[in-house]
Amino acid sequence: MKPAVNLKKSMQNKTFVVIGNSAAGLAGIEAIRKLDKNSRIINISQEPYRPYSRCLLSYYLAGLISQEQLWIRPANYYKDLGVEPLLGCSVEAIDRKNKTLKLKKGNELNYDKLLCAAGSSAKQIEVAGVQKKGVFCLRTLDDAKGILSLLGEAKDAVILGGGLIGLRVACALKKRGIRVRVIVKSSSILSQILDVESADMIMRRLKANGVEILIGRAAQEILGKDRVKAVVLDDASRLDAELVIIAKGVSANSQLLEKNSENSQDEAIPCDEYMKTKDPAVFVAGDVALTYDIFKRAAAMNAIWPNAVRQGKLAGLNIAGENIAYEGACAMNAVDFFGYPVISFGIIKARGNDFEELIQRDPSRSIYRKVVIRDKRIIGCVIANDIQRHGILLNLAKNAVDISSIKNLLVDEYFDFAKVIPLIKKQKAAFKQPEYSDVALSYAGIKKLFPVSSFL
Amino acid sequence: MPQPYSMESKKIFCDISKCQGCKTCELACAVEHSASKDLFLALLESPLPKKRRDTQFIEQHVSCSISCQYCQDPPCVEACMASCISKDEKSEKVEIDQTRCVGCSMCIMVCPFAAISSQAGIGEKSLALALKCDLCPDRDSPACVDSCPSKALSFETRSEFEKKHAK
Repeated sequence: MKPAVNLKKSMQNKTFVVIGNSAAGLAGIEAIRKLDKNSRIINISQEPYRPYSRCLLSYYLAGLISQEQLWIRPANYYKDLGVEPLLGCSVEAIDRKNKTLKLKKGNELNYDKLLCAAGSSAKQIEVAGVQKKGVFCLRTLDDAKGILSLLGEAKDAVILGGGLIGLRVACALKKRGIRVRVIVKSSSILSQILDVESADMIMRRLKANGVEILIGRAAQEILGKDRVKAVVLDDASRLDAELVIIAKGVSANSQLLEKNSENSQDEAIPCDEYMKTKDPAVFVAGDVALTYDIFKRAAAMNAIWPNAVRQGKLAGLNIAGENIAYEGACAMNAVDFFGYPVISFGIIKARGNDFEELIQRDPSRSIYRKVVIRDKRIIGCVIANDIQRHGILLNLAKNAVDISSIKNLLVDEYFDFAKVIPLIKKQKAAFKQPEYSDVALSYAGIKKLFPVSSFL
Repeated sequence: MPQPYSMESKKIFCDISKCQGCKTCELACAVEHSASKDLFLALLESPLPKKRRDTQFIEQHVSCSISCQYCQDPPCVEACMASCISKDEKSEKVEIDQTRCVGCSMCIMVCPFAAISSQAGIGEKSLALALKCDLCPDRDSPACVDSCPSKALSFETRSEFEKKHAK
């Protein structure tokens, strides 16, 4: 096999290797292929499966979708795109000097350019007994299958972590008829993505639907012989459980490349705005990349699907010879527990005098709207049970539109896209996407046609 | 390289100077997306058909009918974690494959025009599904455009619309 690689390399065509076949990896492959029909593309994935969506695993666990619906690309995807898949194969090391990958199986692969979209893994915890049977995280399809295989015998589940994944798993298991208890260390659930008030509203909804939540506790030990029997908490209480799910967030799979040594907390790999690392032949995208957060104005890890796709796409285009800068990432999350939707993005808690919070509540309909403003620009929001306007606010924020003239409307019941149209005319440069001007194009002569204001 | 902004693919435009805010387009949209495609029979359907466009007021007496703008680089396509929203490179249509939608709200989260909504309880799965303008695949011209009494809505290419409204 090896001479074939070198033969191809000696010809005009280049070899691009993409590590990872989830959001960022796939977007990268497709972007390269769009511009470069002839190059050799190799896609390596640690898991043996064809591309599937990790984010859908909780839906699969709940029995809402079939395994068929997890696949996010057609069965003949690799063949159609002319990509060589190396599935169930992990990379041992990257030899950047010789532009070679060492695979665990022993063979080597040469590359001209490398896209590392290796993603992230579930964070492990240091609690005695985590290796017992019945302890899972939910990160891979195999994890989901493992949990599903125990559904018949498990009556109680304990979930360690009150973040997005923890609660999604809690709802999924509840739907399967299992008693669920969620152990949350911090003072509220979803503390990374929501403010206290909206998190409280979700917590009430979860409790009303039978999910038990224990705040301010931590697991101390997992009991049982080889199988899980119970979890002991730090207040010495004992919760019987046949299933324990660890959902403490993710850490980047950055072992293959160098990290930012000064910043040991950030485990992701730093890159420039072209998604390129210090080595010009190596690009990163997705959870593994440390990117600039446009609202925090600093490098941050925002391990979410839309960011990964965007970064993968740009990395792919730049690998294929383009030179397109990434506009920056931001945090955003959509959750929906038992029919109660909440969406948030950016900075959701004011952090000083130059921040302003606009809040409107409608308790009778469980509606909560909050927008955070800094320097005449929106930098974050939380919206519960009235989510449709979220996209408008997000894009106003991303485009850094001066919203002073419509500030009072942002959290109002009657806010909609039409209120933004006058701004499009006034701040042409800020509304970068051409669709905005399509909408506002016929707005120019309005004052002449309807001289109503002159009567008032 | 994002695709160049196509001027020659058709989409629905609203001439704000002509829109009366009468919401006839909304009604026509809901009826067109009902099972019976008849207003009175549609009223008996369960769940009720849902409109995919919205008539909104910019200020008093100035309104605009808004739906999917078929973005050049659609954020919904990037955000969809079920990969069920796609943009056809030739027709420039952005479509939702409802058989694969799980109702995660990620597309609603990112749509700059709030043009995507969700409807609960359709299909066998008890999942909410994302809904947006589909340019009425069963018709030559979208129902909203045909129904508009003041001819504010039009189905045309960007270059045609821009020519009309160039100052």
